[in-house]
Amino acid sequence: MANLAVHICGVELKNPVIAASGTFGFGREFNELYDIGAIGGVSTKGLTLEPRLGNPVPRIAESRGVILNAVGLQNPGVEYFIQNDLEWLKATGTRVIANVAGKTLDDYQSICQRLDGKVDMIELNISCPNVKSGGMAFGIKPETVEEVTRVAKSGAKNTPLIVKLSPNVESIATNAKAAENGGADCVSLINTLTGMAIDIERRRPIIANNTGGVSGAGVKPIAVRMVYEAAQAVKIPVIGMGGITCAEDAIEFLMAGAVAVQVGTANFTDPYAMPKIIKGLNEWCDRHSIQNVTELTGTLQLNGK
Amino acid sequence: MKDYIATIVKNEKIAENIYAVTFALDEDVTIRAGQFGNIAVGGTHLLRRPIAICKADKRQVTFCYQLKGEGTRLLKEKKIGETCNVLMPLGNGFYVEDTEKKVALVGGGVGVFPLISVLRAYGETKEISAYIGYRNQGAVCGVEDFQKANKFVAVTDDGSYGEKMNAVQAFAADLAKGNRPDVVLACGPTPMLRALKAVTEKENLSCYVSLEERMGCGFGACVVCVCDLTSGKKARVCKDGPVFNASEVVL
Repeated sequence: MANLAVHICGVELKNPVIAASGTFGFGREFNELYDIGAIGGVSTKGLTLEPRLGNPVPRIAESRGVILNAVGLQNPGVEYFIQNDLEWLKATGTRVIANVAGKTLDDYQSICQRLDGKVDMIELNISCPNVKSGGMAFGIKPETVEEVTRVAKSGAKNTPLIVKLSPNVESIATNAKAAENGGADCVSLINTLTGMAIDIERRRPIIANNTGGVSGAGVKPIAVRMVYEAAQAVKIPVIGMGGITCAEDAIEFLMAGAVAVQVGTANFTDPYAMPKIIKGLNEWCDRHSIQNVTELTGTLQLNGK
Repeated sequence: MKDYIATIVKNEKIAENIYAVTFALDEDVTIRAGQFGNIAVGGTHLLRRPIAICKADKRQVTFCYQLKGEGTRLLKEKKIGETCNVLMPLGNGFYVEDTEKKVALVGGGVGVFPLISVLRAYGETKEISAYIGYRNQGAVCGVEDFQKANKFVAVTDDGSYGEKMNAVQAFAADLAKGNRPDVVLACGPTPMLRALKAVTEKENLSCYVSLEERMGCGFGACVVCVCDLTSGKKARVCKDGPVFNASEVVL
């Protein structure tokens, strides 16, 4: 049995496998299938200050090896989460990462303030491609990434702040660096890639929002490359995600420089994906005589070097 | 709710473009009428196929599906002896109150199959009338099941089987003759449900409809498959539904 525990910004996770925001709700539904206390952490459904109804349906489509979604941040609002879900989720024993989004800089500061000290970590969603204002708008340019990070950190004084980076940018390394400069304690990537799927009979996009965020197995090589580039650019820890389906996928991200990973779309294909990945990580480490999973992080050696 | 590893014992065409797949399980499963399963079809498809449960008998579960895209085509090609992961039972299902003695079933298209599960659950204890609409004679299926109802009215869009009308018209015609049910249970295309809702609201009849929507997880976590409630709120079709009181949902 390898030691799978990892430390991120002073927070200990029992293993490096975290549920990705938006695929796991607040954990209650998955807890009907297995004890979610066994997974390293849960990044909650994206929270906003006020409740949001989200986008019209259809909100999801498929393409080979990937899915597209445009839920539009439907959520009951941060107060509802604090009153109804937070204590329950904490009591499961998993680490609680509150994923938050806003329309304005003030929104980001306020929501971080509201959650400061209440959750294990806060993950800043500045890269949601499916809402008209805010979200992605902050996530594109390095200047706004740095600014929104600084403002959010001023709210999250006592809670480690993860900035979730958009892949729909010119340079992931520059934006990762911008988040670090703005005071981020950690970065996570990648959020979804903006895409479109068309119903050719109707000559219309399948998703009501027209475009959606692409995720799932097919995006993994892009994500691994970006995690590598981001990890090279910053000193703060990196959490990797994008198409992770099995333990071997997770190990690629760790080797590319991630200290932990998030699993999203795979939870839909196989609701037991995360417990299986954790088990698989353990077995892989044992087979390779690795005592601590942390030994894998950043061990990638490029060809020709 | 559990992810069953289910073995295919039958997978065959039952009508034009409609197939029925029966899975054998290695343990008993209890399923309420109108619930569904989320079937992993494999291949490059990352999402499962949410399909209504048509029949369930301890260790055997039958789903009927329409060939629509690549996912259902993959399912069609599966052979006897192959296995699929099936997450079930999902959703709330249909529920008939003890005080409701006379039940009307109104169905169209693939919406007829969850209604067969109602017939199997309540056929012995309730007086059931089924008003079922098909596109044409080639699409007619489930007749042997619906014939077990106290009354079965089959109609088609083109008049090639039964009268030329839709299921709602057939139901409304019988209603006009004084055959008034205590509750109406329905499943079918949204325009059909909308028309039915107009009739049942006008007649002050209790009506429950089973909805369909593109789903992600299938059990309430991802909030992809929502519908609008008349209260202004949204509900998850997979978890809060798929069956809703027609008066509480915007169609």
